[in-house]
Amino acid sequence: MRQTKTFKKLLLVTAISSGLLLTGCGGDDGKDGKDGTDGQSGDVSTQLGVTTSGFPIPEDAILVAPDAEDGDDITEALSVALFDVPEDAIVVLPKGRFVVTESIVVNSASGLTLTGYGINETILDFASSYGDDAFRFQGGNGITVRDLGVYEAPKNGIKATNVNGIHMTYTATVWEGELEANNGAYGLYPLKSQNVLLENNYAFGSADAGIYVGQSENIVVRNNTAKQNVAGIEIENSTMADVYNNIAVGNSGGILVFDLPGLDKAYGGNVRIFNNNAYSNNADNVGAGVVGMVPPGTGILNLATSGVEIYNNQITDNDTTAVAITSYLLVDDDLASYPANYGTTMGNGWSPTLKNVYMHNNTIARNGGNPQGTLLQPIIDGYTIGMGVTFPAILYDGIGQFLSNTGDLSAFNGLVGAEAAADGVNYNPYAAGDRICLNSNINGNPAPDYAEVNTGLVYPAELADFDPALVDGNGNPLPHLLIDQMINNTYLNCTQPRLAPAVVNFRNNIYGCTGDDLAEAACAL
Amino acid sequence: MKTNNKMIAATLATSFLLTACGGGGDSSDSGGSVTPGSALNAGAGAPTGAQGSCDAATSGVNWDALMTETCPNLSDYNLFVDASDPTSGPTQGGVPYDLSTALFTDYTSKYRFVFVPEGETVGYNPSEALDFPVGTVITKTFALPENTAMRDGAELVIETRLLIHRTDGWTALPYYWSSESDATLAIAGQRLTGLTTINNQGQQITFDYSVPKAADCTSCHSIVPDLAGPEDDREQIFLPIGPKARYLNKDFTYSDGTVYNQLQYWAEGQLLSGLPTDFQSVERAPVFNDETHIASLSDSELNDKARAYLDINCAHCHRADLTLPADYAGPAGSSGVQLEYNRNYADSPGKFGVCKDPVAGGHEDYPYDVIPGNADESYLLFRMSTTDSRHKMPELGRSTVHQEGVQLIRSWIDQLPRASCSPAT
Repeated sequence: MRQTKTFKKLLLVTAISSGLLLTGCGGDDGKDGKDGTDGQSGDVSTQLGVTTSGFPIPEDAILVAPDAEDGDDITEALSVALFDVPEDAIVVLPKGRFVVTESIVVNSASGLTLTGYGINETILDFASSYGDDAFRFQGGNGITVRDLGVYEAPKNGIKATNVNGIHMTYTATVWEGELEANNGAYGLYPLKSQNVLLENNYAFGSADAGIYVGQSENIVVRNNTAKQNVAGIEIENSTMADVYNNIAVGNSGGILVFDLPGLDKAYGGNVRIFNNNAYSNNADNVGAGVVGMVPPGTGILNLATSGVEIYNNQITDNDTTAVAITSYLLVDDDLASYPANYGTTMGNGWSPTLKNVYMHNNTIARNGGNPQGTLLQPIIDGYTIGMGVTFPAILYDGIGQFLSNTGDLSAFNGLVGAEAAADGVNYNPYAAGDRICLNSNINGNPAPDYAEVNTGLVYPAELADFDPALVDGNGNPLPHLLIDQMINNTYLNCTQPRLAPAVVNFRNNIYGCTGDDLAEAACAL
Repeated sequence: MKTNNKMIAATLATSFLLTACGGGGDSSDSGGSVTPGSALNAGAGAPTGAQGSCDAATSGVNWDALMTETCPNLSDYNLFVDASDPTSGPTQGGVPYDLSTALFTDYTSKYRFVFVPEGETVGYNPSEALDFPVGTVITKTFALPENTAMRDGAELVIETRLLIHRTDGWTALPYYWSSESDATLAIAGQRLTGLTTINNQGQQITFDYSVPKAADCTSCHSIVPDLAGPEDDREQIFLPIGPKARYLNKDFTYSDGTVYNQLQYWAEGQLLSGLPTDFQSVERAPVFNDETHIASLSDSELNDKARAYLDINCAHCHRADLTLPADYAGPAGSSGVQLEYNRNYADSPGKFGVCKDPVAGGHEDYPYDVIPGNADESYLLFRMSTTDSRHKMPELGRSTVHQEGVQLIRSWIDQLPRASCSPAT
C-alpha cells in the first residue's frame, strides 16, 4: 500500500527572489492596517508601519506571509524568507498569532533584523512544532530579534550560537500555564557569542532559564522581566557581563551566576549584577541538571564564579535566601574524584572555588520565611531546627575558601594549565583580593523582624574562626553554621575594587554603562 | 517519494553492498569500467566558470548550473543517466562510495556518489574530510527499504541531498522526490507521515520522516569559530562529514563486479592524490551496521565500533580541538561533550560525558550524561532512545529510535571502566 504512488506536493521554490512567498513591498501603500485593529500612524509614505516599541518598518522590508490570518501555519514562508537572507535585511512577521511547525534555522546572517509588530502583536506558537528550538541563529553578526513572542517551543525559544552581535529586544519567550518540567528549555539563549544585548524582553515559564547567556563575552542584560521560570536570568561561564534594571519574580531562583565544569569556555568572570529587583522567587523547582538543584526561594545565586559584584539590588520576599554564594563543593563534595572527573576543565581554569565576590548596597527584606531545597536541606535544618534561627539572608558556603586556606586544595594547583595560572587561577590560601566581601547593605525588614536579616557561613572563611572541636572521627571539619547580623557583620567585612563595566558593540554602536546608558542612574551606582 | 523496486535487479546482481538496478541499463559508465591508466573522472567535464543555466542541455553533468544556480529540479543538474533513478548510473565521472559506519537516518539506505571535475583530484587528509576540489558534487539519496534485513528489495526513494563545492565554499541543497520522475527543491523541507519499515528484528516500525530544510544542513555540516573577542568576525565553515579516509577505507563492490578498497580504487583511478604509500598507516573505522551481532563482539571490537558510531552520529557537532583548524569547534563543541573517534578516552572521560552533569537540558531520571556501568540512567543513552524533541539526539534527521545503535552504545557504557558516579559493585 505504501508503494502506491502517493506523490506529495511540494511548493517549488526556484529562487529566493520568487515573489510567491516573500513580498518585496515596494510602493504598495495602504496595504498596512488590513485588519484595521490598531491606530498606528497613518504615515505610510516611507514606511509600512511602526511596531509597538516604535521600530519603523521600512518599505523595502521583506514581509513574511503578510496576508496570513490568525491561526495560519506560516512555517514555510518563514523558512524560505530566512534561508540565505540578504545582508542587512529587515524581515517582518505578520500581525496576529500564527502556528509554526518546524524549527527555524538561520545561518550566518549579517545585519539581519527579524521583527514582528510588537511583543503582544506578533505571536508564533510552536506548540505543534515537530522541531526542537523555535529559532536557532548559528553564526553571523549584527542580528536583531524584536517585537515578537515565541510561545511553547519544544526545546529552546530563541537560541543564538557563535554570533558576534546578537540583540534581542521587546521579545517574549513564553510557556503558558503552570511551570512544568516539559516547558521547553531556555527562553532567550545566546551561547558562545560576542556582544550580546538583551533588553526589554519578557521570559515566562521556562523549565530552565528564561534568559540565559552561556560561554559568551561582552554582555548587557537590562530592563528585562523574567517571571515564573526555574531560573529567571542566568549568566553561565561568561565574561564581562552587566545585568541591571531587570525584574526577576516568581522564579525558583531569580538571578544566577554559574561557572559549570566541563564547558568549552571553562570559566567566566567580571559579572556585575546591579539595580535589579529579585522578589518572590518561590516557584517549585521543576528543572533538571544543575539548575534543578537551585533551592526554590533564592533571590540571587552565585555558583563558583569568581569576580562578581552584586550591588544595589532589591532582594525581597524570597523564601529561602536573598543571596547564596557557594563553591561547587556544595554540588559535588567528592574531592578525591575531582582530578578524574574535572581534571581537564580544571586545567583550562574552571575551579570549584569562587573568589572576589563583592556584595554591597543591596536592600534585603523579608527573605528566608520558608527555606527549602534538597541541596541545602542539612544546612537549613541546622539553622532552623538545630539553632532555631531564621535562615540567613546571605548564605556563603565557605568550604572552598576554608579548604584553600588550610592547604587541603593545594594539590589541585598541579592541574591548572599555564594559561589559567597566568590568569590567576590557583588553590592557594585566599589573599585579600580573593575574599568574599559584604558591606553597606540595607536591612529592609520591619522592626520586629529586623534582627532576622543575617549572614550565614556554613564553613568559616578564615582559619581564625575554625573550631577544632568541630571535626568528625577522621579529622574532617564539620559544618560550623556561623551566623551574624548582615549589618556590621564580622565574617565578611571587607571591600573589593569595583569591577569594570561591560561594553557591547552592536553594529558599531556602544551599549551599556559606557555607551548609550552613560546617563542612566543605575550606571552611576 | 518514488518507489524503487529492485527485486529483479537484486537477483541478477552479484553485489551485496550496492545493487546495480533500475531497468538493467548496465552498460554502465560508472567508475568500474574505467580502463587502467585513465582517470575515473575522465570525460566528466568541468565547470567553465560561466554563469550556469538550469535549462542547459548538457551531455554530462551540468557543472555550470551546479556552480551558480539553485535549480528547481534535481534533473536540471543531469547527475544521473536515468534522471528518475538517483541510486545508480551516475553521469560520466561519478563514482559511488559508502562508509564503514554511517549516520543513522531512520533506517534509510543511502546511495552516495561523488563527482569531481575532470582534471581535478581529491586531496588526502588523514583525519578530516578529504580535500575535495572546487566543483565537486556529492549526492546522497535516502531510500526507506520495506525491510531493513533485505536492503536489496523494494524501497521508497525519499530525497536526494547535494553537497556542492562552489568557489565561495560548500553549499547544500535538499531535493524531495515529489514524483516518480524527478525530485524538486525543498528549501523548507518536507514532512512525511506514517512511513513504515520492518526492522531486522522483524518488527514493523511506523514514523514520520523529515526531509530537512536547506538551512538545517549547516546545523551539522559546519565548524564554528570560537570567537576570541569583540572584534572577531570569523564565520562558520561548511564541510562534508562522511567522506573521511577512515570511513572510506573499506572494500566496495563496483557495478562491474570489481571489489576493491575505495581509497586505493580512487588513488589508482587518479581521483585521489596523496594517499600514503604505507597504506597500513591509513586510519580505518570499523564496520557497524544493523547486521552486527553486538553480543559476540570482543571488548575492543565493541569499543571500536561504539567510538565509530558516536563519531559519525554525534561528533560532527560534538567536537573541538584535535584536528580542527585552530579555534574552531563543532556546533555543539561548547557543550563540553566531545565524541570524536580520535579522542583519547582515558585522557578525559569527562569529554565523553562520564560523570558530567547535563548542562543545557537534563532529566531528573538521568543524573549524568554517561554513568559507566549504568547505561539505563545515562542521559546520553536516553537522548538516543527518545524521540521527544526536548531531549532527542541527534537533533536532526532522526524520527525513530535506532535500536541497534542504542544497543551498541548501551553495551559500550556498561563495559566502560568504572568512574566515581558508577554504581557500587
